[in-house]
Amino acid sequence: MQDFEFLQPKSLAELSDLLTGSDTRLIAGGTDVIPKMRHNLFAASTLVDLSGIDDLNFIREESGEIKIGACVTHQEIAESELLSEVNPALVVACASVGCVQTRNRGTIGGNIANASPAADAVPPLFVYGAQVHTHSKKGGRAIPILNFSTGPGITTLEEGEFIHHISFPRLNRAWGSAFQKMGKRSGMAIAVVSAAAAIVLDESGTISDAKLALGSVAPTVINSSKAQVILIGSEPTPELVNAAAEACAADISPINDVRSTAEYRGHAAVVLAGRAIQGAVDQAKRRLA
Amino acid sequence: MKSIQVSFILNGNDVAVSSAPNRTLLDVLRNELGLPGTKDACSGEGECGACTVIMDGAAVNSCLVFIGQVGGRSVETIEGLATNGEYHPLQRTFVEAGAVQCGYCTPGMIMASKALLDEKSTPSDAEIREGLSGNLCRCTGYVKIVDAVRLAAEELARD
Repeated sequence: MQDFEFLQPKSLAELSDLLTGSDTRLIAGGTDVIPKMRHNLFAASTLVDLSGIDDLNFIREESGEIKIGACVTHQEIAESELLSEVNPALVVACASVGCVQTRNRGTIGGNIANASPAADAVPPLFVYGAQVHTHSKKGGRAIPILNFSTGPGITTLEEGEFIHHISFPRLNRAWGSAFQKMGKRSGMAIAVVSAAAAIVLDESGTISDAKLALGSVAPTVINSSKAQVILIGSEPTPELVNAAAEACAADISPINDVRSTAEYRGHAAVVLAGRAIQGAVDQAKRRLA
Repeated sequence: MKSIQVSFILNGNDVAVSSAPNRTLLDVLRNELGLPGTKDACSGEGECGACTVIMDGAAVNSCLVFIGQVGGRSVETIEGLATNGEYHPLQRTFVEAGAVQCGYCTPGMIMASKALLDEKSTPSDAEIREGLSGNLCRCTGYVKIVDAVRLAAEELARD
């Protein structure tokens, strides 16, 4: 294990002051950072631990927006009553991360900053149109999560900038959201394919808004605009759901890797997309009734 | 590299260690504090659960916690489980149910099980399996381990 200096700021101001130079890097839960450091895939001369900053650890609703601090753990999200009420897709996704030991340490900020196309928390945030709110000495900005990662391990964060929280709105009227994931086994598995869907129905039962996001089938998590076009403005029949799921195949670019093949991913993406859309539709219909 | 001073509560007692910051809680427990009950199997990948300890009430892989992140926290290891010479019910039921074969995964299994039972006193078998999904055993096939946790839960519920 490489040597490093270890710093523990207690406030956002202290943290901002410490983030100078590309050799100074952040650690939150450590579930990705520590294995990467052991494999020499993460270089840092100074490691700044976020766990002492209370201002990064909150789940709250403010003027219609749900806000989740960067250091909230997957387990805290999985157990949050507010989040299970407003974003069941995110709760299911975070409950599917690794195992309880991983969920107790791993954070949503880390999951996003790690910029893996397989990040479980990200597809549910895509379908809610989430924003990633950052801080730095220069101030803060909001980055749509769609634009946050530009490739595996690559983010649009600038030097000295860190994730403060994530926000997304409540969905209105008759809505539903669902997450589906397939790994090599049910425990401890990284997604071979994942899918999240959000559906909103108007009073007549027609789909007024729809989003589908897929993980592990492109260099980043992606939105399927083709599925969205098919869904919006129509009745959510099983045939429509199937057609939308099949349409997502044109939006993805799966590859062969250690976990699966491009061909299998292409097939599984359609199946999981269909299940996620149907799950969201079922919830939305229950809210309409 | 500059060493750091870390104070925390270990099995109910205050401890203070001076350590290089690149050491994990697992390293320090086994090599500095003389507590080798917490096992190292996957060498810091967080894949096997053998190094599971309970930190502030939550099961964590001690190989994925840098020692500096432990300051001010409370850590329980397998060595702290028996009280006044009496084994914890999980320690007994693992023996009674035949849940121990080679024994290497056992401390991690028991600590993950304790965290589960501390949270939920009467888990279903599915909840037990979910609670132990981060702990690998290459001997038992898990059936006896689930039996042991269920037996301990029943015993704790009777007390």
